[in-house]
Amino acid sequence: MKKFTLKWPLIITASLLAIFTFIVPLYGAALYSFKGNGGKGHSWVNYQWLIHADGFYPSLFTSLKLAVLAAALNLLLMVPTMVYLNLKGQRFKSLVDFLCILPLIIPVVSLAIGAQVAMPKFLQNTQYELVFFFVIIALPYTYRALDTSLQTVALKTLVEASRSLGASWTRTIIRVIVPAIRSGITGALFLTFALSIGEYTITSLLHWETFPTWTVVAAQQNILGAIAISVFSFVGAIALLSAIALFPKRGSQRVEVEE
Amino acid sequence: MSKKDRTSSTLELRGVSRHFGPVKALDGLDLTVNPGELVALLGPSGCGKTTALRIVAGLEVATSGELLVNGERYNETPANHRDMGMVFQSYSLFPNLTVSENIEYGLRARKVDTDKRAKRVTEMLELVSLESKVKAYPHQLSGGQQQRVALARALAIQPRVLLLDEPLSALDAQVRSQIREEIRRIQLDLGITTLFVTHDQEEAMAISDRVGVMSHGKLEQIDKPIALYNNPATPFVASFVGLANRIPAEITAKGKARVLNQKVNISGSAEVFVEGEKVNVIIRPESLELVSESDANATRGIVALKSFLGPLTKVGIAVEGAPLIHLHISSREVRKLEIGEKIAFKISSDEVMAERA
Repeated sequence: MKKFTLKWPLIITASLLAIFTFIVPLYGAALYSFKGNGGKGHSWVNYQWLIHADGFYPSLFTSLKLAVLAAALNLLLMVPTMVYLNLKGQRFKSLVDFLCILPLIIPVVSLAIGAQVAMPKFLQNTQYELVFFFVIIALPYTYRALDTSLQTVALKTLVEASRSLGASWTRTIIRVIVPAIRSGITGALFLTFALSIGEYTITSLLHWETFPTWTVVAAQQNILGAIAISVFSFVGAIALLSAIALFPKRGSQRVEVEE
Repeated sequence: MSKKDRTSSTLELRGVSRHFGPVKALDGLDLTVNPGELVALLGPSGCGKTTALRIVAGLEVATSGELLVNGERYNETPANHRDMGMVFQSYSLFPNLTVSENIEYGLRARKVDTDKRAKRVTEMLELVSLESKVKAYPHQLSGGQQQRVALARALAIQPRVLLLDEPLSALDAQVRSQIREEIRRIQLDLGITTLFVTHDQEEAMAISDRVGVMSHGKLEQIDKPIALYNNPATPFVASFVGLANRIPAEITAKGKARVLNQKVNISGSAEVFVEGEKVNVIIRPESLELVSESDANATRGIVALKSFLGPLTKVGIAVEGAPLIHLHISSREVRKLEIGEKIAFKISSDEVMAERA
């Protein structure tokens, strides 16, 4: 008699749960976003409203610009830091780990007000101050993404090999370490970008208009338009994820080894 | 690339020490590697051989002492300015770069122009017989091929000194022997000064001009492989290099001992033993021979073990009051011996080395 296992019932249950909690609402949202005026018929009217709405492009470009800057700044800050911690600064690792978790623990209001006061004068009252906030809120995630990636490579030996061949630290980081931890960097980049482009609380507290804050205001004027915004954002996020996942990776193909 | 392209360097370590807190990983190491010479540092794990190599490479800082290359002090020179080619145990090829990119990595760092780089890469690939793998990535190569690329990469920069950090340890026996011979061929061909670290005595003895045996951060003895084997300077060297029996004995007079019913002379040990003192004598398997049971000086025992080693067989003999004693007997002769059979043997060497029990 064939032995009964829980494997297939569990897979089916999980798939059904995923369909009902994730795919059905998304399908519903997509369907509603194509409703015509007064909720009748199907049309592009909500998307047309979206792209012609006041503030759509400026807020979207502001968000994209700030997210790109935050992702770049985060990597510039975190890649050398994590390399140092994994290579020579093991004793500081738990301290930095703790510091990077703080943005998850400290209430956002305290973080926003406290950090704004500590911000250099030339950055206060410019939208670029948000870049630093986005970097701070992404720290817990980038720390882990980079740390996990660094622990999977023989960092010390690769660095020593590079140095003994005459390479400077900059060359070693750019030509050897960065390609070796590409998956971690990509993950950190995406997480920072996604967190930055979707950040609402701090932006709202500091009275800046980015895509999320504009969305909240715009959604109050047109409920079906608001649904179109959420579908637009979701498709954008999926496109970004796919682009990162499909980005060609050098030396990843495996072939038969012959002696 | 030939000998003419390179000026061989002299490598000197003068009283080099490396302390990690209270631990003396390296304790006043004095070593000179002459131009074009291949010197192996041999010793058990933790003896300081890798620390010495890392200090030469600039990957570790000496607590005291001097490192000289062609008489020039190198202590303060950073690793990337030392011109030392290093081959690591774990290959350490850059996984995102192809074979040719790996080999030219050091040349790019030195801003060598494209044509010269391409020429050198071709030369190096020919040298390690990997011309067909020029565009392969490290994961597409076997362990032996990866180590050959690592060797080519280290040699491409025309280093002053080639440093080999247990380069064969990760390879299987057959490939290890093949790469070992290849390393020696290339080293002799290029005439490059080489420092080779290993814990495998067969490896060290097979390809080195001289072998330095290290223990507890110190160099016990450095000599040609045959001299090291035949005339060990200390009991540690005698027992570490080659197979050696440690047999309990008693000092009967100055320079003399009684062991296994036989009187033997104690060879040039720095230690002075007093009459009646219990010692261990160190006797190589080939210094023991099977004799007739009627021999008055013979020691009697029972065959307890037979290990086939090819032309020779290692025979373990159980003797009362002593640990299992090993002899090497021709495999043809050993067929007559059975486990449990009574056997007589004696020490054929006039002089043995002794250490305190």
